[in-house]
Amino acid sequence: MVERSVEDRLREEYFDLLPDIRRVAEHLEAKVKYCVLPISRKLDKYEQLVVTSRIKECESALDALRRRPEAEGRTFDRTKPDKYTLTNLNDLAGVRVLAFPRSRLIEIDQELRQRFSDWEVDPVPGYDKIDDPLAFKYYGYCEAASRKIKGELQIVSMLTGLFWEVEHSAIYKPTPRLRGVARSPEMRHRTREVQTALRAFEEEFEKQIRDSLKKS
Amino acid sequence: MGTLDTKSKILRDAGYVYSFDREVYFNRRTKKIFSLEFIEDHNENEIQRCLSENKEGEDWHFYFNFDPSDSVKREIESVLR
Repeated sequence: MVERSVEDRLREEYFDLLPDIRRVAEHLEAKVKYCVLPISRKLDKYEQLVVTSRIKECESALDALRRRPEAEGRTFDRTKPDKYTLTNLNDLAGVRVLAFPRSRLIEIDQELRQRFSDWEVDPVPGYDKIDDPLAFKYYGYCEAASRKIKGELQIVSMLTGLFWEVEHSAIYKPTPRLRGVARSPEMRHRTREVQTALRAFEEEFEKQIRDSLKKS
Repeated sequence: MGTLDTKSKILRDAGYVYSFDREVYFNRRTKKIFSLEFIEDHNENEIQRCLSENKEGEDWHFYFNFDPSDSVKREIESVLR
């Protein structure tokens, strides 16, 4: 009999976990929306706060496991299939909070950090080791929804989050293997330029609004 | 550590190509493979030293932070052949 590949074992595991993944995404989205309600209600007209959830698709999950930083060479060890489990991924179910302007990010982060105080803190790093983190990130269990898989919570500025969404739907969703292109030093350099431009745009926009509100 | 940009230029100038699927730099002539993690964690002089190391034989040489298993080596070699 032909032995099943590591990938096939993981695909089976994915579909076993799918009901849990869906429950965690729904539960986490509802909880986060409830927690940020006091902030949402007092936003100015020009401010925005958006909460979205997503579940990682099967092939993306496999690719993410193969690309974990400890797996140099991005290759499954076929002699040790039991070494791999999707439950090691922290982002099978994820919620993202997008906020504009950036000053709201800190407030949202403080609120959520209190509510998820037992979750691991794991900020999204910049594109080089010397860069500031790009987003606040936490992961942990939503025990009311599942004890098998963790959920991930990201708090990110509106333009950076939307850039990630465009990048994801245009490139990685159709072809998860292309994630390695973005990890090349040359692409990291280009992406850092985009991030720097988006940040400058947001900061300038915020400054213009603040100045005009002071004058009026 | 130096910047990633500089280290990637050193590798490209020495004839190394980036494999986005395996996230390694490799050169079929010198039969050396560098993982991204190794490049991030070593400075430019260390990378230059690895590039100038004289390795003989038909086997590929893996510059990884952690030595990969034989199975992983075989699979990467078969992809890069």
